[in-house]
Amino acid sequence: MTTVEKPLAVPTTAPRAGGIGSSAVRKEDDRLLRGDGRFTDDVEPARALYMAVLRCPYPHARVLRVDTSAAERLDGVLHVLVGAQVRAATEPLPVLRPVPGAPRLPYFALAQDVATHEGQPVVSVVATSRHLAEDALELIDVDYEPLPHVIDVLAALEPDAPVLHPEVLDSNLLAANSDGSGDPEARMAEAHVVVEGRFRINRVTALPMETRAVVAEWRPGARELTVHVSTQVPHLVRKSLAEVLRLQESDIRVVASDVGGGFGLKLGVFPEDVLACLHAMALRRAVKWTEDRAEHFRASTHARESVHDYRIAADAEGRILAMTNVYATDIGGWNSPFGSAQLSSVVLNGPYRVEDGYAERRVTLTNKTPIGAYRGYGQPEVNFAYERLMDTLARRLHLDPVELRAANMVKQEDLPWRNPTGAVYDSGDYERCLRMAAEAIGWDAHRDAPRVPRADGRLVGIGFSSFVERTGYASARFLANRGSQFGAHESVTLRANRSGGIDVYTGVSSMGQSSETAFAQVVSDVFGIAYDVVKVHAGDTASSPLNTGGFASRTMIAAAGALKEAADELARKTLRLAAGKLEAEAADLEIAGSVVRHRDVSGVQVTLAEVFTGAITGQGIPPGEDPGMEATSHFEPSDAAYSFGTAAALVSVDPGTGEFDVERFVMVHDAGTVVNPTIVEGQIRGALAQGFGAALTEELRYDPDTGQLVNGSMVDYFVPTAADLPPLELLHTEVASPVTPFGVRGVGEAGTIPPGAAVANAICDALADHGVELSSLPITPESVWREISGRAAHVDTHLNPSPGDLPDGGDGY
Amino acid sequence: MSTASEVGTEPLVTVTTTVNGQEVTATVPPRLHAADFLRQRLGLTGTHVGCEQGSCGMCTVVVDGEAVKSCLLLACQLDGRSVRTVESLAEDDRLNPLQQTFKEEHALQCGFCTPAFLMTATALGQQGRGCPSREEIREEIAGVLCRCTGYENVVTAIERWFAEHPQRAEDADPSPEALR
Repeated sequence: MTTVEKPLAVPTTAPRAGGIGSSAVRKEDDRLLRGDGRFTDDVEPARALYMAVLRCPYPHARVLRVDTSAAERLDGVLHVLVGAQVRAATEPLPVLRPVPGAPRLPYFALAQDVATHEGQPVVSVVATSRHLAEDALELIDVDYEPLPHVIDVLAALEPDAPVLHPEVLDSNLLAANSDGSGDPEARMAEAHVVVEGRFRINRVTALPMETRAVVAEWRPGARELTVHVSTQVPHLVRKSLAEVLRLQESDIRVVASDVGGGFGLKLGVFPEDVLACLHAMALRRAVKWTEDRAEHFRASTHARESVHDYRIAADAEGRILAMTNVYATDIGGWNSPFGSAQLSSVVLNGPYRVEDGYAERRVTLTNKTPIGAYRGYGQPEVNFAYERLMDTLARRLHLDPVELRAANMVKQEDLPWRNPTGAVYDSGDYERCLRMAAEAIGWDAHRDAPRVPRADGRLVGIGFSSFVERTGYASARFLANRGSQFGAHESVTLRANRSGGIDVYTGVSSMGQSSETAFAQVVSDVFGIAYDVVKVHAGDTASSPLNTGGFASRTMIAAAGALKEAADELARKTLRLAAGKLEAEAADLEIAGSVVRHRDVSGVQVTLAEVFTGAITGQGIPPGEDPGMEATSHFEPSDAAYSFGTAAALVSVDPGTGEFDVERFVMVHDAGTVVNPTIVEGQIRGALAQGFGAALTEELRYDPDTGQLVNGSMVDYFVPTAADLPPLELLHTEVASPVTPFGVRGVGEAGTIPPGAAVANAICDALADHGVELSSLPITPESVWREISGRAAHVDTHLNPSPGDLPDGGDGY
Repeated sequence: MSTASEVGTEPLVTVTTTVNGQEVTATVPPRLHAADFLRQRLGLTGTHVGCEQGSCGMCTVVVDGEAVKSCLLLACQLDGRSVRTVESLAEDDRLNPLQQTFKEEHALQCGFCTPAFLMTATALGQQGRGCPSREEIREEIAGVLCRCTGYENVVTAIERWFAEHPQRAEDADPSPEALR
């Protein structure tokens, strides 16, 4: 990274190799570089069979009749499942992170009477090869009665919209939640100025390079269902499968070894996971399914689509008096396990001090693929809205947008601070990141320069986006209040071995976030053992303690504490046992690399292998000591930690065509204490790439007439390639968080948040004399040209808040 | 349900090809694509499948010195040709210089796309040209998608490998004898 500013007193010595703060080489790399990773499709049990899934081609249709007889006669076809069989054998798919107040929808692995989106599974077939299974799908005859469909999220809330789930709901509003405090309407009424806008956020998808996959094997005599699945949450998949299949959790082992990217998409069970298990249990043979990319675009989850009606009220000096957001968020045809993004409400005010505000969320069903979690989970969406409005406010009041932001940011000395929805921001210096970004991008020189075209005819603008990122969860109590099916803690088991190393067992699967490396660094640092002999075994429910899993930028902030506690416990015992062997006082000993040695007397030492062997055999340990060298720890941080930062974009725009280029992009970011600088930078860069994709090139488009996905293939859906991304300049500050062990903050998602707002603000700055105010994502040359030429459609309507008192933010986010 | 034939009835064709220096003869269904052949028949699971449409580049291997997307080739099209996959790169216990540079530059995260970048770079290195610029590298690897890294470190790793290993053609293309 280019710059590191550390405001707090930190040791100036370089971190120990492999310890916290070092750029240790990754544990994961050797196998992946050799092609020796073990992704789910690489698992090939003997005599495996292959599943294929027939999917509804309509956005909304009644399934009148299914005839599978010809498929069943095809040579090589062994088993077929239809909706009625699934209904008899299973429970509906569970929701792990429900929307408070939402009824449970009967979401079965195969469509029952009615399918509610293109791509919903209707029939599944197992054959001796994938080719034959797919041949069999061609022989299945299904009579559908197409039903009226609704694609647009606002149209779905109209009284005349076709209702997707009339047996449970009388409209497409799954639930509405309001969070806030103060009296924002009164502040609006007395404000000098109110800026408002409707912001449309595009439907995108995480698109991990590895699609979903599952391999299920059933041994009825042993009552053992082994499920290899590409998931971020093996223990939550195990719990969910037990519920759906009416098994005991002890009957199920879930293994996720290498996962080829998750980004929130691979949270919880999907219909195909259940189907593979049902087939395997019926056939007593291993059944494998690997999603193809066409299926992935229709049957894995999408993300982000929402419409936000935002308002910011301010006094004449630009001090924010109130902020509100009433928004409709699309959840698609069903409530997927992680469903609607909740953080749009939590961080509605971003890094700005707002005492009076609320967010009202309307979770809306449409005839499209279900929405799930995606890196950022509601935060990029609202960042685009409030940061666009901050620039609008600055222009309205003729204020410098940097100074307007700085004046309204929560001050370091005011933290911790509770925002209107109850979120407690822990610590940080938000303004410093903003100032660093402004300086790096050259704001002062640009600010007062006239917006005249360069020699190439282009206008140049600079735009900013400041943000906070909620990482982790406030508490198990908070999660319980909202019906979530998991905890805020993380769990690890440390077990010493006779070779003198430590095995770490975790339910957090390896999906690129480098948790194997970071976990080993913490153990090495705390215990004093060499990094090389710490081995992390990830993603197997049979060996790891029950945990929550890798999502919500939560892994390190919770797992670091569990690792520290367990490593401390093992270290204390190691020192006691070594003291017995060395006839010394434990307090005089230290662990260094592969030995325990006397601090003062050189040559007095014993190897860790010998100490561990003694503990494991129980031979030669001091009286009163138990055999064994193993510790399991569960740790819940005291609160969520908030990462923060500011991005600045320099963009040139052709005012004639709307074409634009992001010529510079500066990201200033704080993730608290950094465990591994190289990994942190990699996380930021990767998330920025996804942020740029969502901001500029990615959008899943549905034909409103047919209700079908228009661009559901890699050929038509444009994720950034190596040749597409702008140069990224990373700057970094390091303010330790007081709520987590070592002061770490989560880092996985921040980069997804600011690109859209920063680029849009830069374009609007460049085109200030044209009065351009962008309000939709993605930003394309066409959308810019429409704004310049006055061809953009503008709406005057907005979503009204529901009447009634504001609910308190409760126990806080 | 059918029980007469567990394998189904598909016509088969014979293909003889050299994979990582070893000659292989196999009978395969005509519709089996090369990526599935490498993965499922030869057990070379380092070559990954991402879209089966030739768009994502996950399945990139080197065929007769060219980086190709193996999902767009049928297995029978490999007949008489020489294929290299990621499994051929490491030398005994040691990563080869390209792999080592990827490791040092943190050019991989989940690792699913990594074999494709390695094989793309390997083919590029065999073309006998000088060090490409960063922009040229970006264009050359644009046929392989990555959702984790943002590409910066992949570009840096390939740039460094070119700069530090002018003998890369030999590194990258050991003789069939050496591979055995």
